[in-house]
Amino acid sequence: MGIWEMAQKQVDKVAEILNLEDWIHKKIRECRRVLIVSIPVIMDDGHVEVFEGYRVQHNITRGPAKGGIRYHPEVTLDEVKALAMWMTWKCALLDLPFGGGKGGVRCNPKIMSKKEIERLTRRYTAEILPFIGPEKDIPAPDVYTNPEVMAWIMDTYSVDKGYAVPGVVTGKPIEIGGSYGRNEATGRGVYFCILNALKYLNLSPEGIKVAIQGFGNAGSVCAKLLYKEGCKIVAVSDSKGGIYNSKGINIEELIKIKEETGTVLNYKDIDKITNEELLALEVDVLVPAALENQINERNADKIRAKIIAEAANGPTTPEADEILEEKNVFIIPDILANAGGVVVSYFEWVQALQAFFWSEREVNLKLRERMEKTFWKVVDLRESKKIGMRMSAYVIGVGKVAEATRLRGLYP
Amino acid sequence: MFKKIECIIQPFKLEEVKEALKKIAINGLTVTEVKGCGVQRGYKNGSYEETKPIVLNPKVKLEIVVDEEDVEKIIDIIQKYAKTGHIGDGKIFVTPVEDIIRIRTSEKGRTALK
Repeated sequence: MGIWEMAQKQVDKVAEILNLEDWIHKKIRECRRVLIVSIPVIMDDGHVEVFEGYRVQHNITRGPAKGGIRYHPEVTLDEVKALAMWMTWKCALLDLPFGGGKGGVRCNPKIMSKKEIERLTRRYTAEILPFIGPEKDIPAPDVYTNPEVMAWIMDTYSVDKGYAVPGVVTGKPIEIGGSYGRNEATGRGVYFCILNALKYLNLSPEGIKVAIQGFGNAGSVCAKLLYKEGCKIVAVSDSKGGIYNSKGINIEELIKIKEETGTVLNYKDIDKITNEELLALEVDVLVPAALENQINERNADKIRAKIIAEAANGPTTPEADEILEEKNVFIIPDILANAGGVVVSYFEWVQALQAFFWSEREVNLKLRERMEKTFWKVVDLRESKKIGMRMSAYVIGVGKVAEATRLRGLYP
Repeated sequence: MFKKIECIIQPFKLEEVKEALKKIAINGLTVTEVKGCGVQRGYKNGSYEETKPIVLNPKVKLEIVVDEEDVEKIIDIIQKYAKTGHIGDGKIFVTPVEDIIRIRTSEKGRTALK
């Protein structure tokens, strides 16, 4: 089953639980708008390369579309559509006044120069320009896009308008209207969810064993915060492999080593393990913070963690999900666990619109409040409806979009 | 967010208020014996005159930090159980609380409240 089909099946399941009216169900299982653009770029050697890009708005009933832009050689339209749909549910779940969107350009940024990426970004922005804007659709960083890319989007859009429009993207550098705490927001959100899950399961953070798959932005920030909390991070991996130490890894040192050498494998006093072995470790908390479909029907029954906090998008396949539910693993689903990024994106957008900026402390307190409140809402629904954490999160998210759709009615 | 409900009530009403709060599962409560006066400057039936000193009557002060959503419920209870209908029943103040930290565990925010 393709990723888009999978996303639609999820909606069908939730529609059944919510007993949704047929017209609402039909409407929200499709994307509102899909834009496909071709992006001609002059490469450094002078020849012209044409890339394909997308911007999808799945739903804009509750507010402007919100969602990242990814640069990846394997981006497909179906993937972008599914991710846009998940953004809709995520924003609704967290009570953000946004719909869901997503963008992508099929390219390989790892072999492109910075100048080439800049030209690609500017041309892509120009092509989707009528589609985006602070009150229409607000992009953000995603896979292989960063604050610098957001600055180029903001600049291209602003040059077209003739004045600075910081509210058109989030995840910008602080100097041009970004928010304090945005960079660490996703990892921090995962961390808040884990602390609350531990509380719910009557466990103390001190000394609990954690394994983290993926040491990018979300994984490393989450690891650092848990480490400071007294958790024992016994295993970490990145795309090159994993490391294990039963006594715990000093995450602050590890972050330095990763920055200096590009991989976690150069850390001393560790056993090397594979990603597959990391997932099967006997730990209290497992944080998949890498790519999609890491926990699947082949390895799900080997998982021994008590809690899985999905920092990545879609790390667990539906088949694996069923196995984990049966094993009574407490899952903090992606649309909840990694929502910290879009929550602070919302704060950034609000600050940009008001041209009034908050301190980092204020941002982090507001983020924590929203994450914790949502976490307990999902837990309460799980208990009252006797459904899994993932389904509870979807029921809340889809339910809010459905209610908004019902209230607005169908035009004409 | 969180709010602090601070109320000054008649000392003899404390037991009733305390028991009523217990029933709705309010766990954290701080009580202080205080002295104070209100508009009447501590005199009954408006017998205060400019030349008289202010009288500070004994009261108790309750402090409760709760989720914003529970504020109305608690105000209702305090009003219901602390009220005698006479001057000197006291007042309720509600203020925002930025953060909560449990000293023993370092838990913060909602986790520290639970």
